[in-house]
Amino acid sequence: MTLANADTATKPKKEKRSATVNLQPMLLGVGFALLIAISVATVLLVNRASSDAGLLAQTLVVQNKLSEILLNVRRAESSQRGYLFTNRESYLDDYRVAEPAVKEGVAELLALTKGNQKRQAVLVRTRSVVEAKFAEMARTIELNKTGNREAARAEVLGDAGRDIMNSLRDTVSGAVSDEGRLAAERSDSSRQTNTLLLIVTLVGAALIILIGAISIALVRRNARRAEVARQELAGTNANLERIVEFRTADLTEANEEVQRFAYIVSHDLRSPLVNIMGFTSELEALRKEIFDKVQTLTAEIAVLNGQADAAVAAASPETAAGVAPDAATEQLGKDFDEAIRFIKTSIGNMDRLINAVLKLSREGRRQFHPQTVDMQALLEQIAGTVNHRVTELEAGLRVEKLPVVQSDPLALEQIFANLIDNALKYRRSDVPLTITVRGRTTGTHVIYDVEDNGRGIDAGDHQRVFELFRRSGRQDRPGEGIGLAHVRALVRRLGGTMALESELGKGSTFTVTLPKRWSVESRSAA
Amino acid sequence: MNSKLSERPVEIVMIEDDEGHARLIEKNIRRAGVNNPITPFTSGTEAINYLFGADGTGIANRGKPLLVLLDLNLPDMTGVEILGRVKTNEHLKRIPVVVLTTTDDAVEIQRCYDLGCNVYITKPVNYENFANAIRQLGLFFSVMQVPAPE
Repeated sequence: MTLANADTATKPKKEKRSATVNLQPMLLGVGFALLIAISVATVLLVNRASSDAGLLAQTLVVQNKLSEILLNVRRAESSQRGYLFTNRESYLDDYRVAEPAVKEGVAELLALTKGNQKRQAVLVRTRSVVEAKFAEMARTIELNKTGNREAARAEVLGDAGRDIMNSLRDTVSGAVSDEGRLAAERSDSSRQTNTLLLIVTLVGAALIILIGAISIALVRRNARRAEVARQELAGTNANLERIVEFRTADLTEANEEVQRFAYIVSHDLRSPLVNIMGFTSELEALRKEIFDKVQTLTAEIAVLNGQADAAVAAASPETAAGVAPDAATEQLGKDFDEAIRFIKTSIGNMDRLINAVLKLSREGRRQFHPQTVDMQALLEQIAGTVNHRVTELEAGLRVEKLPVVQSDPLALEQIFANLIDNALKYRRSDVPLTITVRGRTTGTHVIYDVEDNGRGIDAGDHQRVFELFRRSGRQDRPGEGIGLAHVRALVRRLGGTMALESELGKGSTFTVTLPKRWSVESRSAA
Repeated sequence: MNSKLSERPVEIVMIEDDEGHARLIEKNIRRAGVNNPITPFTSGTEAINYLFGADGTGIANRGKPLLVLLDLNLPDMTGVEILGRVKTNEHLKRIPVVVLTTTDDAVEIQRCYDLGCNVYITKPVNYENFANAIRQLGLFFSVMQVPAPE
């Protein structure tokens, strides 16, 4: 009962525990996923930040170039004007340097801003303005070189050059301020990206710390539960041991009770049996006296009736006994004797049965003294005691090599003497009897077979033959049906088992399986 | 000075709970020619009262020629207890005690002799043997010496 209760009590707890166990890998998985997400987000954000920075740098470069272009154009213009004013070739040096620089700068910017329609449009406009300016300047320089100074001056004095210049300045400054706006936007976005990156990192770190904390809490809780479970288990174990001890004591007590009971019953049955038998014998003794008396009285009646020879009979009563009794008296005597005979036979049977029970109970109470037994020697000794019967029956008794066993030698002798005696008793009349005793060992047990080619036992009786007062087959041999019951009781007390293999008319094999080492302590288990 | 049981008025105290047994024992003892008075008791208490007297000291029976035939299985106490009390009593310890019982347990036999029983006889179950044993006991009584009164 207690066991079953403990079992059902631990079950729900067990399920709960397995749920927590499942939670942990899940938590670990979530942690990993989070880490990966944070890493991915960080990589993406870092990429975005670097591209933001690149774009910002590009904007600054574009701005720079535009300013440079404007500066160079102004340089070229001032160089052209200086030349026209002084008419000295040396003033053209700056112009010559600036022109390719400007063209190069415009080409560079166009290449740099490829893909940005708006910028390209501005730049194309800038280029055409720049080209127009340089064309105007080249024209005035050419006019001046060819000595046409007035035409050149008129050209410069005309507002065309200034208009172009103004237009260029507007375009460039517009582009520059556009770029400035763009740069501001980009630097904003870059700052946002950085902030986001910081937030993601911080949140990720916080989440990981949280998961770690939960994990630690779970581990600690599991450890605590494991400790509780361990203590419970230890408690259950101790309880179990106590239960086993208790049951063993119970069994031992019950066993002893049965033994005592058998002993007392057989004893107490014996007393009235002695009386029955005693007074039956007294009755038997009385019978002679009664019938003698009847005889005498019959004779006396005969005398009184005045029949022949009455005088002789009356003169000597002693001879009355010698006179043949009449038929009725003889019948009475026969009936009396029959009744007495039945009583005595029954008493004899009962006496044998009671003695058998008494013997069994006495055997049951005997203390066993386990020791190493040389089974070979033991069986040969038994063979020696039945030798004359074996010879008489022209039978063969063969003892093969037998393993030793640690057990009670007296009990073993009784077991095997009984089995061999049975084999000798229940032989077949038509075949010479052969009995073989063989043995083998397994890991923990020794097994002995006693095989014969006797009359065998019907399959339906294989269990019955081991029961007390039960016998099998033709009841033509003396016995009380106690031998095999006794053998099985002994084998069980030695912690072993008994098996029977038999076929009617073929023979029987009794198999005794015993523990290799039997000790008094292990008795309770048997 | 002859102290043979059969030749002196030795009283046989028979403590036997089974009246049938008591009767059979008496019959067979008589058949052996023992004619001493037999006082039967069917319970241990009655027998103790008789043996130890009204004061329970046993002084009443001091030196009285007695022989106790004792069954061990009694309803109210064990024969072993009676045996022990008789054999440890200052006044009764020399009374010969013959244990006549069904028990043939070796431990029980040893215990009785340890306590000072003089003869231990197991009642044979077979009546012929039983009758024979009692008759022989009777014959044994007829040659047995009992302690002389002081």
